[in-house]
Amino acid sequence: MNQTPNAERSTLNVELSAGATTSNAKHERLYILWRILDFVLAAVFLFAGLSKMFDLDALLADLTHLRFGDALVHFQQLSVASPVEFASGIDNFKLVPWPVSVALAFYLPWLEIFCALGLMFRLLYRGALTLLITLMVVFTLAITAAKVRGLDITCGCFGHASQHWSFPNHLATNLTILAALLALSFSYRAKKHL
Amino acid sequence: MKSSLVGQAVILAALALLPAAGEAVYFRDKISWRSAIAPSEMVTVDQAREWSENAIWVDARPDEEFASDHVPGAILLNEDHWNDLLPQFLAVWVPGKKTVVYCSSLSCNASREVARRLRKEAQLSDVFVLEGGWEAWLKKNR
Repeated sequence: MNQTPNAERSTLNVELSAGATTSNAKHERLYILWRILDFVLAAVFLFAGLSKMFDLDALLADLTHLRFGDALVHFQQLSVASPVEFASGIDNFKLVPWPVSVALAFYLPWLEIFCALGLMFRLLYRGALTLLITLMVVFTLAITAAKVRGLDITCGCFGHASQHWSFPNHLATNLTILAALLALSFSYRAKKHL
Repeated sequence: MKSSLVGQAVILAALALLPAAGEAVYFRDKISWRSAIAPSEMVTVDQAREWSENAIWVDARPDEEFASDHVPGAILLNEDHWNDLLPQFLAVWVPGKKTVVYCSSLSCNASREVARRLRKEAQLSDVFVLEGGWEAWLKKNR
């Protein structure tokens, strides 16, 4: 039995619509994956910012050992960390004078937190991504320069958590975060061009 | 498109400036903008020598430098072997005595870090950093 042209068109429409649905589902899945990456990176930078402002040692130790009851108690007793520690960490790089280290110690944690919120809620998204990529490039260059100059540094990038990290550890962490930020940036641009 | 990207970055940078300024005001008495160490936590060689028996000297330099020469009576306590050396220091520490920490020179950080950890981890008060470090001590004692 021969199909009429109308019947052929209808089959084509069904195929096209099925294709569009598959493509939409694929895009949706991809979107969810990129959003997950947004949240993971936002969490990393929120932690980076907060760990410089608060003394999270006890809380982190509890969470690492799954002692949630103790973690709750330590969360309620959270104390503000002295900015002197982070300023000293910046000063150890011997790249900027002490007053600049102090200014950065006050400023950088907040910048990280605001950029993290930007990623999380997709507010000022491209600005947040650009700032975080710039920060990561600067941090990576700074730790590499410190290593080359033979400085024994305590980076303080993640507060006390990163106090005893080795240079390869620092570098690997920074490059992974940088790669993830660049991937987000390229995916956002690609989506804009579609 | 480019300007909006820059605009977004500027807005974020400016937003972060506000709480940072607030924090700077809040901590105005707890951090010095002039020197990494608050003046009250520094001590000159002359002042430290005046304390004589009332002071415990702590050498925060690496082991080899301590072995080569050090302030008479100084105790080695550096961050390389912190966990091993801290109990040795605490064994000779006497309440009421002042602790003077020194490292190589004016530009080193080890004494600052050791002093900070003694205050924070060992809960010691009266911990001072020697201005100019070992170099300054040598100059005064040549």
